[in-house]
Amino acid sequence: MPKPSQRTSVKKVKVKVPSGTLKTYLRKKRNKPAVCGVCGKPLSGVPNLNALKMRTIAKTKKRPERPFGGNLCSSCMRNKIKRRLFESFS
Amino acid sequence: MFETGRICMKTAGREAGKYCVVVNKIDKEFVLITGPKIVTNVRRRKCNVKHLEPIPLKIAISKNASDEEIIKAFEKEGVYSKLKLKKPTAEEIKLAKEAEEKRKKKEEQKGTEEKTKEKKGKPEIEKRTAEKKPKKKTEQKKPKEKKAPKKSATKKLKK
Repeated sequence: MPKPSQRTSVKKVKVKVPSGTLKTYLRKKRNKPAVCGVCGKPLSGVPNLNALKMRTIAKTKKRPERPFGGNLCSSCMRNKIKRRLFESFS
Repeated sequence: MFETGRICMKTAGREAGKYCVVVNKIDKEFVLITGPKIVTNVRRRKCNVKHLEPIPLKIAISKNASDEEIIKAFEKEGVYSKLKLKKPTAEEIKLAKEAEEKRKKKEEQKGTEEKTKEKKGKPEIEKRTAEKKPKKKTEQKKPKEKKAPKKSATKKLKK
């Protein structure tokens, strides 16, 4: 058990030990994967890392190289561009 | 529908949302395109028909036309005002020509260098397999001969 002044958001897991007692272990937190802004499907090309690593790796390794790269999935992006075309020419 | 001279917009890839011109037909599915690179930043390459969206605009060019002829045809039809694009100046056209020629020379030099490297690589691999010596078979250990059990001295005393 950590000190009351050092309680961070932590996942507690109860495990039965071979001697027969119950012990609580503290596990680290993991992020959820990134998701498309329109349809809600998980995105490809975006790694699922913690905050420290996302700060240190290069910018081109965090998103795909196309418009709306880390925001929308490929099919939602195509629909958006087609709709822009039709509205401008109608 | 996708004839030489038809203007389209790309819907997929890193050049999505940009205009381009069809230059030649390759296949049922593939087509050669450029937006001239100075105008729309789209390179001369082949593209799938499913990733293009045509526009009700067309210009008159011949097959496999160069970028300069396409820019002249743009002025005649008034494409710059309809699509809201910038007109390139004569200096920019010159600079782009020289940069293309430099790039082509570099590619030819690289192509010859790669061929010489491939030849060096193959004999090295063959040498390595020949240098390997066959493993020596270890001699089988002879089984230990069992010694005859010694007669204990205590038995004699008991008698």
